[in-house]
Amino acid sequence: MTLTLQPVRVATGFEDEGVLVFDGEQRLVAVLTHLSDRNEVAPGHWFLEAGFGPLSGTSHPAFADLDTAQDWISRRLSPRV
Amino acid sequence: MHSPFRPDYNPLIRKLESIFTLTADERQALENLPMQITVIEENQDIVREGDRPSRCCLILSGFTCTYKVTAQGKRQIVAFNIAGDVPDLQSLHLKILDNSVGTISRCSVGFITHEALRDICTRYPRIAAAFWRGTLVDGAIFREWMTSIGQREAYNRLAHLLCEMLVRLTAVGLVQDHSCDLPITQSELGDALGITTVHVNRVLQQLRTDGLIELKGTRLNIPDWEKLKQVGEFNPMYLHLEDLQAVA
Repeated sequence: MTLTLQPVRVATGFEDEGVLVFDGEQRLVAVLTHLSDRNEVAPGHWFLEAGFGPLSGTSHPAFADLDTAQDWISRRLSPRV
Repeated sequence: MHSPFRPDYNPLIRKLESIFTLTADERQALENLPMQITVIEENQDIVREGDRPSRCCLILSGFTCTYKVTAQGKRQIVAFNIAGDVPDLQSLHLKILDNSVGTISRCSVGFITHEALRDICTRYPRIAAAFWRGTLVDGAIFREWMTSIGQREAYNRLAHLLCEMLVRLTAVGLVQDHSCDLPITQSELGDALGITTVHVNRVLQQLRTDGLIELKGTRLNIPDWEKLKQVGEFNPMYLHLEDLQAVA
């Protein structure tokens, strides 16, 4: 699964930077937010702010880096055998 | 923080009197209600969904929550219970529990047998009415929570919950000057409000920045009560307290 990322600013009240995540067919599947250091739960982590399709209604994990977040999303999007 | 149960302060009577006027006889009967008092550490289940209890638990001190767990293992907290609450009172009439109740902080809990509760309700029909009224108020609180979860923004939702906790704690004498012990974690707030812990943290920080709350450890202080009520769209009417003026 090839994902494309598009940088955005997310209006979380903390001016967090983030990315829109698109799948291979350019469908928006997730919004990842790079949590600021002010966040006391997971500072500096990439947080699944919103998920669509297979990623909707799942848990909202926070990842140590963007690669790990993308791996997790890819696994969730890959067709089940 | 755990404050031990003081025998001179009966939270059940305090709670019932906040929503119902009791006579001296009825108060005495409640004083004499036999109960087995146990201390339960934090994060322990008191009863579980599917149980068939033969007794009810009265919270004497500390905080508990009523919750359900989805098939995916996600927890929804549907109520926070404080001193004076009997969170599984429904088990007196509904044989199988459809929710679990667990401690949030270290708690003193008084177990009262169904037999003793049936007996007091038969001898004192007005006490039965008071318990009934209590469960109806619980229903009103569920309706308010559902409205919050479905329709209020996270910021207002959390403000509303904090207002509710403050008023309910005031009604049982656990608030001094808009300040109270609130040992609920951010993760538990998230499970109650239907938002992630990350977002709970953002909203708490926003409420702090806006001067609506002050948090020091588990101590919550509300410097601007009127403003917090306004932000939470909080109208305490649904708590149906006898003396609303005194607490809200």
